[in-house]
Amino acid sequence: MKDIDFSVYKVEKPEVYAHKCPDCGTLYYPVPMLCRHCGARRDPSGVFFSSWEKVPLSGLKGKLLTWTRVYALPTGFDDRYLLFGIVELENGLRASGRLLVEDPEIGMKLVAKAGIVREKVGEDVYGFMFDRK
Amino acid sequence: MRRVAITGIGHTIFGNLSDFDLVDVMGYASSEALDDAGIRKERTIIDQVIVANMGGCFLNHQAGIASSLVSRLGLEPAQAELVENGPASGGSAVKMGFAAIMSGLADVVLVTGGEIMRTVPGWEGTDFVASLLHPEAEYNYGLTLPAFGAMFTRMYMERYGLTERDLALLSVKDHENGEKNPFAHVRIPCTMEGIYESPDANVVNNFIAEPLRLYDMCPVSDGSASLIMCASDSPKMKYFKNKKPVFIVGVGSATDTHCVHERKDPLELKAVSMSAEKAYKMAGVSAKDISFAELHDAFIILEIAISEEIGFFERGKAKEAIQKGVTRITGKLPINTSGGLKAKGHPLGATGVSQVHELVKQLRGEAEKGRQVKDPKYGMAVNFGGFGNNVVTTICSKE
Repeated sequence: MKDIDFSVYKVEKPEVYAHKCPDCGTLYYPVPMLCRHCGARRDPSGVFFSSWEKVPLSGLKGKLLTWTRVYALPTGFDDRYLLFGIVELENGLRASGRLLVEDPEIGMKLVAKAGIVREKVGEDVYGFMFDRK
Repeated sequence: MRRVAITGIGHTIFGNLSDFDLVDVMGYASSEALDDAGIRKERTIIDQVIVANMGGCFLNHQAGIASSLVSRLGLEPAQAELVENGPASGGSAVKMGFAAIMSGLADVVLVTGGEIMRTVPGWEGTDFVASLLHPEAEYNYGLTLPAFGAMFTRMYMERYGLTERDLALLSVKDHENGEKNPFAHVRIPCTMEGIYESPDANVVNNFIAEPLRLYDMCPVSDGSASLIMCASDSPKMKYFKNKKPVFIVGVGSATDTHCVHERKDPLELKAVSMSAEKAYKMAGVSAKDISFAELHDAFIILEIAISEEIGFFERGKAKEAIQKGVTRITGKLPINTSGGLKAKGHPLGATGVSQVHELVKQLRGEAEKGRQVKDPKYGMAVNFGGFGNNVVTTICSKE
């Protein structure tokens, strides 16, 4: 019997993207509709204007600016608590995201990873998970 | 010159009103305002109704709330619109009422803000409020408004040496005022021993989002507040003989980036300082002219940060004023004489209107015993929406 070829089932790797303005090259996370810098337009459908280049952000190093441990979580989260932080990445972008370190300190070095931050019916939502390495 | 006079005010209690219909609750506050203004029988002189509400569609499954309120009060054919501007909806509705009169579109305006939030459990309410965050870069993570309040607080503590004790002192001050306010949600005094010093404090005053504890946060409240405004040069002023008018002398609002992380310095609340600057300029006054203020302390840290942004204290110095009791009712510059959002409560759409209600009450000299500011001239209200991305400031005066 022939082995099943699993390669036909595409497995999406979690990733978080910044968007690059096609005119001036400014990076954005999250992406706006007009570049703040040069005013270039974005078309989410890519029909009328060229789409903005997506730049993967996982693997970048960063510095923790502030953090919290939240006990009162909204609908959709069953954890006793979750840790969140704002991180400044080495490329100058900043992002809010989940922290995987239990004892964070302001100023500590972290690495940006992409992971599942919210599970919706039929859809996993990817976002930043910041870890020591 | 045309000016905007506030000629009537109304308020419901803040607390759990989830057994009542949203529009009935708004209608009650509006009726109180009509009676206060003395125009219940002549109420059809109102030519514009502006309603502030954030969650009617989501929390109460009701849309078209402004039209509904008009009909419930028998105010047809008055013009009516709903203002949804997050937690700053109330301040925005006051501003829209002001604009309607100053533009000549209307002479008499009813502004009513209201919210019934306790129809859903806490985690659903938290989720609903969080829906004003950026969907992809903030909300998806499970981030909430308290989480941003907490991250802001930690940064502020690190930079300016603010302590948990300072936060507890402010909470005690707000409860002291709220206890005397008949409309307040939380009318119990709290002590430093109970929420900070004793070994039990860790249980009584537990962490919600570190470093913020239960007593550093506003409760989830229902309620409504209402104002009646009239153009000072309108012949309709003759109907308002009941109370001496209070004037809106300055309004201003400004916005900031949707995401907190996009701000150059996340501790700088530019929308707050810019909205205050505009209001000061319109009123022709500065921070030192203000006698008392209602500042949007959804989290205790915001009372501190806003008071610095609007020029009451230098950056990082508000904590010294707190330690000296400057902002207590007996101090030189009382803040949140109503108990603030902390003790009075925070029914989203009602809050901004309720703040101005308090300004009028104080300026008329009608505040309850023990929480009346002595001979106030100018009162200021700052209504803070999102996490500082949409802020409305209002300045009122007796003259």
